[in-house]
Amino acid sequence: MAISDVNPFVEPPRGPNMFAQITDNVTRIAEVDKPPRAWYIAFGFAQLVLLMFLSSLGYVVWNGIGAWGNMMPVAWGFPIVNFVFWIGIGHAGTLISAILFLLRQNWRTAINRFAEAMTIFAVVCAGVFPGVHIGRPWLPYYMMPIPNQMDMWPQFRSPLEWDIFAVSTYATVSILFWYMGMIPDFATFRDRATTTVRRVAYGIVAMGWRGSSRQWHRYERAYLILAALATPLVLSVHSVVSFDFATAQLPGWHTTIFPPYFVAGAIFGGFAMVVVLAVPARQFFGLKRIITIRHLELMNKIIIATGLLVGYSYGMEFFIAWYSGGKYEQFTFVNRAFGPYAWAYWTMISCNVLIPQLHWFKAIRTNPWTTLAIGLFVNVGMWFERFVIICTSLTRDFLPSSWGYFIPTPVDYMTLGGSFGLFFTLFLLFCRYLPMVAMSEVKAFSPAAHAAHAHAGEHAHVPAPSHAEPAAALES
Amino acid sequence: MSDEHHSKSSEPAEAPLHGILAEYDTPHEIVHAAEKIRDAGFTKWDTYTPFAVHGIDEAMGIKMTILPWIVLGAGLSGLATAIIMQWWMNAYDYPWIISGKPLWSIPANVPIMFELTVLFSAITTLVAMLMLNNLPEPSHPLDLVRRFAHSTDDKFFLLVQASDPKFDESETRALIDSTHPQAVELVPEDHKTSKQLPSVLIYGLVIVSVASIVPFALAAKGRYSHSTTPRIHIIQDMDSQPKYKAQRENPFFADNRSTRPVLEGTVAVGEEREDDHFYLGRQADNSFARTFPAQIPLNDVTMERGKQRFGIYCTPCHGQAGQGDGMVAKVADGLQQGTWVPPSNITQDYLRQMPVGELFNTLTNGVRNMPAYGPQIKTEDRWAIVMYIRALQRSQGAKAADLPPEARASLH
Amino acid sequence: MASENGKKNDKKKAKARKGGKQPKGEQAAAESTHGFADQIQLAGAGQKLFVQAAVVAGFAFILAVILGNSEGDGWRRFSFSYLTAFVWLLTIGAGALFWVVLQNLVNAKWSVGIRRVGELLASNMPVLAVLALPVAVPLIMGNDVLYSWASKANVDADPVLQHKAAYLNPTFFAIRFVVYFVYWTWLANFYLHKSIDQDSSKGDGSEQAASMRGISGPAMIGFALTLTFCSFDLIMAIAPKWFSTMFGVYYFASCYQAINAVLPLILMWLQRSGRLKTSVTVHHLHDLGKMLFAFTIFWAYIAFSQFMLIWYANVPEETLWFKHRFADSWGTLGWVLLFGHFVIPFFGLLSRHVKRSRKALGFWAIWQLVMIYIDMYWLIMPEESRQYLDVNFKLIDVACWLGVTAVFVAGLAYRARGIDLVPTKDPRLPKALSFENI
Repeated sequence: MAISDVNPFVEPPRGPNMFAQITDNVTRIAEVDKPPRAWYIAFGFAQLVLLMFLSSLGYVVWNGIGAWGNMMPVAWGFPIVNFVFWIGIGHAGTLISAILFLLRQNWRTAINRFAEAMTIFAVVCAGVFPGVHIGRPWLPYYMMPIPNQMDMWPQFRSPLEWDIFAVSTYATVSILFWYMGMIPDFATFRDRATTTVRRVAYGIVAMGWRGSSRQWHRYERAYLILAALATPLVLSVHSVVSFDFATAQLPGWHTTIFPPYFVAGAIFGGFAMVVVLAVPARQFFGLKRIITIRHLELMNKIIIATGLLVGYSYGMEFFIAWYSGGKYEQFTFVNRAFGPYAWAYWTMISCNVLIPQLHWFKAIRTNPWTTLAIGLFVNVGMWFERFVIICTSLTRDFLPSSWGYFIPTPVDYMTLGGSFGLFFTLFLLFCRYLPMVAMSEVKAFSPAAHAAHAHAGEHAHVPAPSHAEPAAALES
Repeated sequence: MSDEHHSKSSEPAEAPLHGILAEYDTPHEIVHAAEKIRDAGFTKWDTYTPFAVHGIDEAMGIKMTILPWIVLGAGLSGLATAIIMQWWMNAYDYPWIISGKPLWSIPANVPIMFELTVLFSAITTLVAMLMLNNLPEPSHPLDLVRRFAHSTDDKFFLLVQASDPKFDESETRALIDSTHPQAVELVPEDHKTSKQLPSVLIYGLVIVSVASIVPFALAAKGRYSHSTTPRIHIIQDMDSQPKYKAQRENPFFADNRSTRPVLEGTVAVGEEREDDHFYLGRQADNSFARTFPAQIPLNDVTMERGKQRFGIYCTPCHGQAGQGDGMVAKVADGLQQGTWVPPSNITQDYLRQMPVGELFNTLTNGVRNMPAYGPQIKTEDRWAIVMYIRALQRSQGAKAADLPPEARASLH
Repeated sequence: MASENGKKNDKKKAKARKGGKQPKGEQAAAESTHGFADQIQLAGAGQKLFVQAAVVAGFAFILAVILGNSEGDGWRRFSFSYLTAFVWLLTIGAGALFWVVLQNLVNAKWSVGIRRVGELLASNMPVLAVLALPVAVPLIMGNDVLYSWASKANVDADPVLQHKAAYLNPTFFAIRFVVYFVYWTWLANFYLHKSIDQDSSKGDGSEQAASMRGISGPAMIGFALTLTFCSFDLIMAIAPKWFSTMFGVYYFASCYQAINAVLPLILMWLQRSGRLKTSVTVHHLHDLGKMLFAFTIFWAYIAFSQFMLIWYANVPEETLWFKHRFADSWGTLGWVLLFGHFVIPFFGLLSRHVKRSRKALGFWAIWQLVMIYIDMYWLIMPEESRQYLDVNFKLIDVACWLGVTAVFVAGLAYRARGIDLVPTKDPRLPKALSFENI
């Protein structure tokens, strides 16, 4: 049966063999001649938003960053808020791939691939903002330790320089991890290719992987090592981002809990973004059997847990601000909650601390649509968290004469909104052309792979799982 | 996998044998078969599976890879690179002090040490894994076997190579058959695919790599050659701005000067300074005034103000008591650079005799390496400081008899 | 340091070997009563341990009291030594409670077989509450030896303490102290009792498992808050002017490290004495070793972040605390912590072979417990003289440590009498027993 004979988004996958089912379930999305109409609509819309992003960035580069609302004293404004927001989103992918791997949470295999992709695209979006915010985007190489015409070296004691290293290392390692995970799946795509173009293209990226067990042995070790490396790395990236703030003496920024607090917040926001993407993806690409309600529920549980960690940090900041006896600290925190930006603060508290508590109810955390809604709220809340940290601390510091109030310009809103265009363009292309689910890993954790192991000595075929949700059983 | 290949593979007689391929349906079967082949003592054989089958390492007798040790080495070299780079660049080659931290301030260097350790390790993990696995491997005799395409999908394969010393076509075949494979196939050697890369690819790579050197070569040339033609100025960096700078030519004005002189007969707002006594400390005959101007009230408020201003502007060099022993003077003395003109002891005799107008003038315009404070300190405050200096001069040489009776009583 | 540890290790081994010969007879009895093919009761060894520990505790406390009395300012030293020993011990108790709640929260299967040991350790909380009294009672009575803010006179003389008096005052401290230990005791007992109920369960035990799991989420929230404020009260408030938002996390890092060091040691001791031979395998020890390794890194991450942020910003009221702890011999101790608590054990525990070798894992577990003690010492002791004199290890430190630890061990042995060391009826037990670790 040729794959194009049936509508792969409706028909059940081929055959009783569970491995083949998994292959079909994943590959058909990339192999089908035409993706569903929803994909075209989404892609067209993403392109428009991307166009807005590029044109607004072009406007900023041409006119200088005064086109944004950045001013004194809020010189960081939206671009850095957006940077930290996107970097945070980029944490869930590596967390799912690496930390959950080390913790043997096998359910992650259903979502790890596209969470990793999400990570990389989020880091791309994040990188744009400081890149333009430096004011002369053609001179970023000054921040690299390479000889330049000024005969000067970067200043390694600056947290902003640490950021360059942390974010670029994170981007590199995430891409390596993502790519390495895809090598066996590329080989599957290559071996199923029906056109020369596809065979050559996937053949090149698969690098001649043939699934030899001797290769698998080293591959698995390498995967474990990368996971072990990525775990501290993922903690370090947002910690370093938090150092940008916490090494300063500014009240509201200088607090020692920032590193773990930022990491928890990043995981929180990142997972929220994963569910926001996963719910439509399973709907439109027919992945309900692979990304099940149980996966959503588990992610929602992580969202509550990390949301509570974030709430703990908010509380500790307030308590220590009082306990320290520092007048400026106290003022800053009172000002956050009751000052001119109180609206942002309470938006953040509602979205990050209060609304996720709804997930304590099983009915809510197992419903895709409430999951999606709460995920969106969390993303809004996490954006506001960065806004609150950056803007409230900067607008009112030690000298009342230099207080100010930050008002974003339309260009600010266009670059913020536009960055989603870049993100979704990349994400939709990924869904269309790359293996969206880690097939080899899903197979390795499928009951068929284990059934045979348990029935040692028998020669029986794998009990045909027919249509009994292949992936539901993956979660053992 | 075209049909042409398939037909070839089904006629093994045309080419020498590469090996025997067996196909299995389940991971358990392949593990079981692998154990048999391992126990038979074969060395050149392998299994091909769509995922990492649990227990296959042991079944095939695969030894633990050395990959972790390679990665450890890479990680340590990343760490060393970070340490040496940061020390050399920030503490040795271009030393500069930031926010009072020592030149070689390790806590601030830790984040980058960590990042480079991870970066080196991660890149090495992937590269070393590929190299140990002999990847990329563009072609393999198994590519000619049509059914082998399922090795990345849902089937499990075992290949025993003909080059194995224990290989014997019929015996090995029998051994494989005893493992109940789904299918068995003889795999011919691949003679169609060239052993070498296509020459187009090789030339292409050479051209690309040569071309990629060109920009660097141009940059290197640019660094060491001189030219009289102005550089191409794509990005202006606000170098040319629509404004005139001071002391430049400007043809717009008749005198061709961009700086405009003050118009005759005008005084700028707030610049009217008629009172020489108050503003310059001079009397009508241009000698220094010996009295304070009328604008300065001679009372405790002024004295207090003078003391405070003296504390801010004068004590760093002259010291709290005006003895010329302020912190700056002490540090400068300690450095023993030989170029330091020490600040005067302002309670010296000749300064006691100096008219207040002259002291005021010194404050305003500076003397020796003392800078002019006229632009920094308001006129009234300069007078207040002079007043405080007078008080200091009085107090430093004071005798008990100078004290009022009640203060004298408290001395004992 | 290494040789000292080695000696301790050897002693422990010798002790374990002696114990190893006796319970052959017990084993058969246990099999017949439980239908579980493993020796899972402490039985005679527990009684023996209780007596031995009680005797050691008695001698150690007598020694500590004598030493405390023999010096001019000895009681002051005793208070500080005792506090250091106590907060070290609390890392184990609180760590065990956290570990138990965590296993239930995430529905861990691999750890079911060893869960009971953690539950027993946690349910020793009343003993810890009693052991805390020598710290808490003087404070509540207004004695300012340990906590300057306990005395009204000190508070009146210092505007900073006046500001903090709303939190740092003996009455509020007493309330908090009761809340911490009542909550922890209740929580630990809940888990132990539910778990023991499960052993005699008529059904498949999933009912108790579900109820233990059901409470774990809210319980964790309560635990996080109580542990944070407890660490503020007992350790951070020793230097009442210093503050760090991270401090609760810092203490937590030690807690979780401590439990992951203590569990393998206890399991190894039990196995050497012929118990849990089949219920606990190298795979479980390997996992505990991984956690010990992971939290060695986590501790370093938290400790570095806290130090670096304060060092970098250089705000006087924060930096002073570190300045004292990096001056002279305290600085040397700081370096010992950097290398001893992170760099050396990092490389020591890196290899898979180490985590799977009983001797090596036991060595590093003891090493890390010693390092946690040094960490607590470094946090607390510089305040002893209030003049930040040199590091001065004294016999009284050892006596106090031995005293509280022996009381804890005695309490544990007493608590464990008649209780199965494996939750035999837990539905997840088969998965735990057949657990394989890569």
